[in-house]
Amino acid sequence: MFGSLAALQPRQLAAQILNFALVLSTAFMLWKGLSVFTNSSSPIVVVLSGSMEPAFQRGDLLFLWNRGIETQVGEVVVYNVRGKDIPIVHRVIRRFGGGSAPLSLLTKGDNNAADDTELYAHDQSYLDRSKDVVGSVVGFVPFVGYVTILLSEYPWLKTAMLIFMAASVVLQRE
Amino acid sequence: MHNTLTRVQNVFGFFTSVAFAVAAGIAMSVLLSPQAPSASLELKNVQVVKGRPHYYSTKREEYAHVKFDLDADLTSLFNWNTKQLYLSITASYPSSDPSTIPPSEAVIWDAIIPSDYAPLHPNTYIHPASKAKKSAKPKKKESGKPYPAGGSPGIVRLENQKPKYQITDVSGKIAKRGNATLSLHWNVQPWVGALVWTNKNSIGRWQGLQGGEAKFDFPPLKGTEVKKDDLKTETGGERNRGSPA
Repeated sequence: MFGSLAALQPRQLAAQILNFALVLSTAFMLWKGLSVFTNSSSPIVVVLSGSMEPAFQRGDLLFLWNRGIETQVGEVVVYNVRGKDIPIVHRVIRRFGGGSAPLSLLTKGDNNAADDTELYAHDQSYLDRSKDVVGSVVGFVPFVGYVTILLSEYPWLKTAMLIFMAASVVLQRE
Repeated sequence: MHNTLTRVQNVFGFFTSVAFAVAAGIAMSVLLSPQAPSASLELKNVQVVKGRPHYYSTKREEYAHVKFDLDADLTSLFNWNTKQLYLSITASYPSSDPSTIPPSEAVIWDAIIPSDYAPLHPNTYIHPASKAKKSAKPKKKESGKPYPAGGSPGIVRLENQKPKYQITDVSGKIAKRGNATLSLHWNVQPWVGALVWTNKNSIGRWQGLQGGEAKFDFPPLKGTEVKKDDLKTETGGERNRGSPA
């Protein structure tokens, strides 16, 4: 592997490294662009738990939309509990306010027996739409996100994949 | 150029582009399938009593208990890309300042109706068999379908249905609020593609929902004369799991 690296001309090597950097920055900018377009800090999320079964299974990919925040009852929102950074995908079952007042939401997982009051922060009984909610689910692709669950459960896979990607980009010759 | 790695990369790249194109085609094709949902929804009974948000709470709030009749034909919402239908009955009532704040809304009953092709899941709605049919013949072994024999997903006929949720306002007061509406909502969950919610207006081949609304007023607070039996709620298929997970 290093033999073939050494065989490259310095100019060629630099071009390959730049190429790799271009791939990374394109991916990053696509993600950030989508973020701006949807007005959501995380426009694509992967379902991590079975609390919305049978609608969403672990590993399903969800597309979020966060413009026009008049969230209605029955919509599925992704929110972060105050003080914790775990996104939760659940369905809105009550809404109060909106318009000139802040919009409060109560959520429940389709597959949970009780609503989410227990999950919220200690002194919180409703979600604040503008502060807590990341976006509302508009699109669905099954199973594709399972890769990211594998990557977070087996960290060595992440390293292996990065090394493989870097090596294949640098070593590929046109 | 033609080593194993590039071959594998090419095959994988081709596979993903074909899979993406097929998925996009399936997602778009639902627009071609005609829809004509209709429903008739009626309020059966509404009572308002004092209660607590949960067992250990000392807070006393007013809770409304709404019973309803529903006769809905939503079979046309089940096309080949429908995985399930989330059906809900909601009560909405004017906010404290109706000119600037939209009405408040709360779900009183919901159900998950799977399509014929969805794998069995404990958390799906099992439609109660009609009384006439039950007396006619003792039921044979269920076919594993979540609705009675001869029925199809999307036909929902409920009489004097108990709510799943007793509802309250954010202020804790819900008695004597006028101008409330009971309405039917749905969310079509596809196998792949966009989620679709209730539409009242016709768009292309999709007709809007006909009916599915009932006006009512919340009555004054009742005291101890209400029997506990009258305030029972129904538990859904999600009872198979414990507290939020």
